[in-house]
Amino acid sequence: MSRGVPAVEDEEEVPGSEQSVSAPVTQEEPERELTHEEFDPKGTLALILTYFAVLAIMWVFMYFVEFLGNDLIVVG
Amino acid sequence: MSVDQETFADRYPQEAELVRRAFLVAFTALGLGALFGIFQALHRTNVLRIIPSTDYYTALTAHGVLLAIVFTIFYLVGLYQWAVTRSLDRSPTNINFTRAWLTLMTVGSAITGVTILLGFVDQIGISADVLFTFYAPLQAHPLFYTGLVVFIIGTWLAGVDWFRTWLHWKQDNPDERIPLQTFMVLTTMIMWYIATIGVAIAVLFFLLPWSLGLIDTVNPLLTRTLFWFFGHPVVYFWLLPAYMLWYTVLPKLAGGRLFSDPLARVVFVLFVLLSTPVGIHHQYVDPGIAEGFKFIAMTNTMFLLLPSLLTAFTVVASMEHGARQRGGEGLFGWLTALPWRDPAFTGMALAGLMFAAGGFSGMINAGMNINYLIHNTLWVPGHFHLTVGTAVALTMMAGTYWLWPQLTNRRLYSRPIGLLQVVMWFGGMALMSNSMHVAGLYGVPRRTAEPQYAGFDFNTAFGSMAELNIQLAVGGTLLFVSTLLFLGNLTLSLGNPKVEGLGQSLPEPLSGAEDSPRVLDNMRLWAGIALVLVVLAYVLPLGAIIQNGGLFGTGGDAYPVSVLGTFDGLDAVLELLGVGR
Amino acid sequence: MHIHQYEKLWLGMSLLLIVGFIATITYGAVGVGVTMIDDSGGNVDPNALDEHPEFSDPGVEKVGENEYEAYVVARQFIFQPDPIVVPANSTVTFYVTSADVVHGFSVVGTNANTMVIPGEVAEVTVEVGEPGEYGIVCHEYCGAGHHSMEGMLRVVPEGEYNSSDGGEQ
Repeated sequence: MSRGVPAVEDEEEVPGSEQSVSAPVTQEEPERELTHEEFDPKGTLALILTYFAVLAIMWVFMYFVEFLGNDLIVVG
Repeated sequence: MSVDQETFADRYPQEAELVRRAFLVAFTALGLGALFGIFQALHRTNVLRIIPSTDYYTALTAHGVLLAIVFTIFYLVGLYQWAVTRSLDRSPTNINFTRAWLTLMTVGSAITGVTILLGFVDQIGISADVLFTFYAPLQAHPLFYTGLVVFIIGTWLAGVDWFRTWLHWKQDNPDERIPLQTFMVLTTMIMWYIATIGVAIAVLFFLLPWSLGLIDTVNPLLTRTLFWFFGHPVVYFWLLPAYMLWYTVLPKLAGGRLFSDPLARVVFVLFVLLSTPVGIHHQYVDPGIAEGFKFIAMTNTMFLLLPSLLTAFTVVASMEHGARQRGGEGLFGWLTALPWRDPAFTGMALAGLMFAAGGFSGMINAGMNINYLIHNTLWVPGHFHLTVGTAVALTMMAGTYWLWPQLTNRRLYSRPIGLLQVVMWFGGMALMSNSMHVAGLYGVPRRTAEPQYAGFDFNTAFGSMAELNIQLAVGGTLLFVSTLLFLGNLTLSLGNPKVEGLGQSLPEPLSGAEDSPRVLDNMRLWAGIALVLVVLAYVLPLGAIIQNGGLFGTGGDAYPVSVLGTFDGLDAVLELLGVGR
Repeated sequence: MHIHQYEKLWLGMSLLLIVGFIATITYGAVGVGVTMIDDSGGNVDPNALDEHPEFSDPGVEKVGENEYEAYVVARQFIFQPDPIVVPANSTVTFYVTSADVVHGFSVVGTNANTMVIPGEVAEVTVEVGEPGEYGIVCHEYCGAGHHSMEGMLRVVPEGEYNSSDGGEQ
């Protein structure tokens, strides 16, 4: 494990959990390993569905209120 | 994960030196570009006018070229040289060739950069105040176009270098999948080769000979269309290095692993296919191009949203994986388990968040007829300061905090200052970009020194122009200070002692390359399809433009921005340098 | 290639979003009747506008009941004519071209917004409503005096419209 500084004693290593070189040295280590099968990105799904809703609402507002509600629609 | 893992600089000292050199040019351009940026932010809002308004356009040209071409692309070649060498674990076939293309790029940038900056010195009479887009018949000094050609040839040779390294690696590893980072480099360069066809034809066959007086006229719509043939894919040339960092480094910083290597490959292939046949969406309100062609460009553009939307999922899922490995719980609670005190992580995460917002304004830009609402208003620079100005620039700066120690064997001078810097960029950009978007909706034009008109006032639906101006000026100032903090932090890092053990490894993806079909690695196939799509999208509109307006236009003079003739200007430079006749 | 089910869901929703955007634009074009500036304006020689039947004397003319054509020349750093005067509640077609470099023509705060490219004529038809005044700006950099390039669109009550108004410079 490379930290370049005296490290807190490691317990069980999580593979790929080497400390980022730009992180504070006191940063805590990952505490468990999650495989592809064990990991369901439900937080990601929740965030991205929120994003979808924001996009849809903003699009409707921009197109139908800001754009089509504007003066001098180009018709030819 | 050996103890005291060697760094990139230990293992590849010569390559590390070249990466540092590319970054040095990039960051010099960043500093200068930011300086011109603050001039503009204060000038156009009438907060502080240091330079005359006629010089505003010199500053604007320098800001655009230095940041959008020199900073981004030098960072790209540095990052990609690192990525190819690291992921193939192999030196370039001939490092002198690598040195040569980097030198060529540097010389080209210097020629174009100096030609632009001479616009501030009226006595010399050389100028390239034609902005980033250099639309004819405004005509820059020939050196402006010459430098551009030299620079682009340098980038072409960089691609040759990386392809050559990969082919040699392939001979030694015939059955292996292309490592992900090299895959990203190769696909990006295929896109770049296709994209630069447009600007190369515009400059070599029309603008350069025209500026030298070899041909009398050009067709302004033709050279403009050729510019945008290049001008849209270039935005992905800026973005893809940021994507590389998001896909391959950000999961590591988060303490997790990339969610899906196959999807990352699919995303890069989609960019190869769809980045170029879309340029006409910058010309939705151009006369001389039929509506049908505009509609085709729009459809392609909308499908180009797909790789970015997929990226949003994969990258956030990789962060979530890290957060959950770090003990994060709950539907949203895991967000607090992310390493927010690491400036590299926080910078990239905030950059990604701004890209989500920039994505929305980009969707508006892409929508053909809604373009009437925002075309050439301040909305547009508001948009691209979120994308190239934050998603790309902030990711590059954040990536530097992680990469720089491995390139120099020196620790970062201050991590907290780094953290302050990325947060300040985010805050500054939130203010500046918001005010630009809103002002754009009120009809305030972009690219103008004094958007204060004699005959009318802008009608604001809420707030006032004064408030928007203050927001823009404060935001711009924060961005400038943030740039200084970044550059200062890096400079001071050079004073740190050399240490061992700064080497870093990148974790394997959760779903690896073996889960994806091998056809994804077939570069010839994707390049071929991409070319076919470009031909389909461009042959008819270009043909119509030439048929209607002629290859060299319908007549019309050149409007040189240089005051003196081409060679008189050069004499004046030599005289100033004391070597005149 | 196994893709996580959430990712498949997101892929589907992304495609839905994209198709929804294209459908909205198509509705605007077909349902509302918003058309794009295209190649219908034709081509001119920017050095020979003096000899052009319309651009040699830019201005507004009546071409039908409630229908007007406004010929506008953009040049460093003015619009001709200025102001452009049109009657309220009419259909106006702008024909805009440039005598020198690339300019922009944007009626501020409205959707009337086009590039002005030498050699090309931009044709823009709009329905004009109530009387009022709009600023016009050049929104493409056109040289050192770009920031001073502005004009005015004056919409006057039908009764006050004088056919010679728009023609004066």
